Amino acid sequence: MSNARKAGSDLELMEHADGELDDASAGDRFARHPDARAKLESLKQVSELVRGHLELSADAVHDAKFAAMWRRIDDQLEAPPVRQASGLWARVAAWFDHYRGHVITGAVSAGAVAALALVLRPSAPDGGIAGPRGGAIDVRPAALRATPEIDLLDTPGESSTVINLDDEDGHTTVIWMTPADTVEGI
Amino acid sequence: MSLRVSAPEASTRRANRRPGRGAALAAFLVTVLAGVALATPARADVATSCEFLEIAAKQGDKPAIDAELKPIEKKLKKQPFSTWNQFKLLSHSQKSLAKKKPEAVGLKLGSATATLVEIVDKSKVRLTVTMDDARGKQVTNNTTTVEAGDYVIFVHEVAGNEGHLLSLTCR
Repeated sequence: MSNARKAGSDLELMEHADGELDDASAGDRFARHPDARAKLESLKQVSELVRGHLELSADAVHDAKFAAMWRRIDDQLEAPPVRQASGLWARVAAWFDHYRGHVITGAVSAGAVAALALVLRPSAPDGGIAGPRGGAIDVRPAALRATPEIDLLDTPGESSTVINLDDEDGHTTVIWMTPADTVEGI
Repeated sequence: MSLRVSAPEASTRRANRRPGRGAALAAFLVTVLAGVALATPARADVATSCEFLEIAAKQGDKPAIDAELKPIEKKLKKQPFSTWNQFKLLSHSQKSLAKKKPEAVGLKLGSATATLVEIVDKSKVRLTVTMDDARGKQVTNNTTTVEAGDYVIFVHEVAGNEGHLLSLTCR
């Protein structure tokens, strides 16, 4: 067994270095053994290094962060006394102040639900083939639909005829194009 | 390192402290807006979905209409389409048209583009459709205002008394 072992275990040395060892005679006992003294000295140096590092880290924190911390502490410690609300609007405002967290949670939830509803909203009920995002227009009953209107018709080199057909499914506009040379040949 | 805050500074901070009422009211407004968004149908995304059917038509011994043409089968059996009795689907495409954004419509014969000019009275679409034949020659440039659910059918007579049809309907 080494001298250090006789003087005490590493655990005892660490407890002594931290001032947590109850044995009053331990200091003298460790001082008599060179190994134990060396270990204690090393422990002190390591402790100094760690402490110095932590203090430097704390110094590196920006003053603004401490200022913000103090502001929060001030807010919490010196909250204004609860005022007796007078008037309907003041009561409503006080209620929102009191339940701010609930209101914000509700608002966020409502926003999420609204976003989902907008994304997942089905297209107009028409029984037809729906587009990938659903139509943005209303499909009216066939009987209420207006006749299609041709705003522009250009058929270069073709003879064109426009035919409007109506049936129970609605209107159909047929734009019939015949090559001009065919028409001329007839 | 100093964690102390002088008394005047602390009192200034207390004086500048926000009461939180603004945040609560903002949250209330968000809730109301979310409710309005839920209650109002979204029409900001101006777009329509259009279905295009490209059809080859000819006269044959026996009448034949492809099953995919069921939505317009009744129309094809009537005048003026009764010139032909065989209708074959060449291509079928579904396009979501955004306002003033030309969309190419893939055709077996030639090519076509469709552009949503605008939505009229919430139930009609004003569309511009152009069609080129197989040789790249434009055969039509047309703008029509049509009700959702109604059809526009372009018919181009081709050689051999056959027809090249493009049917479209939007919703």
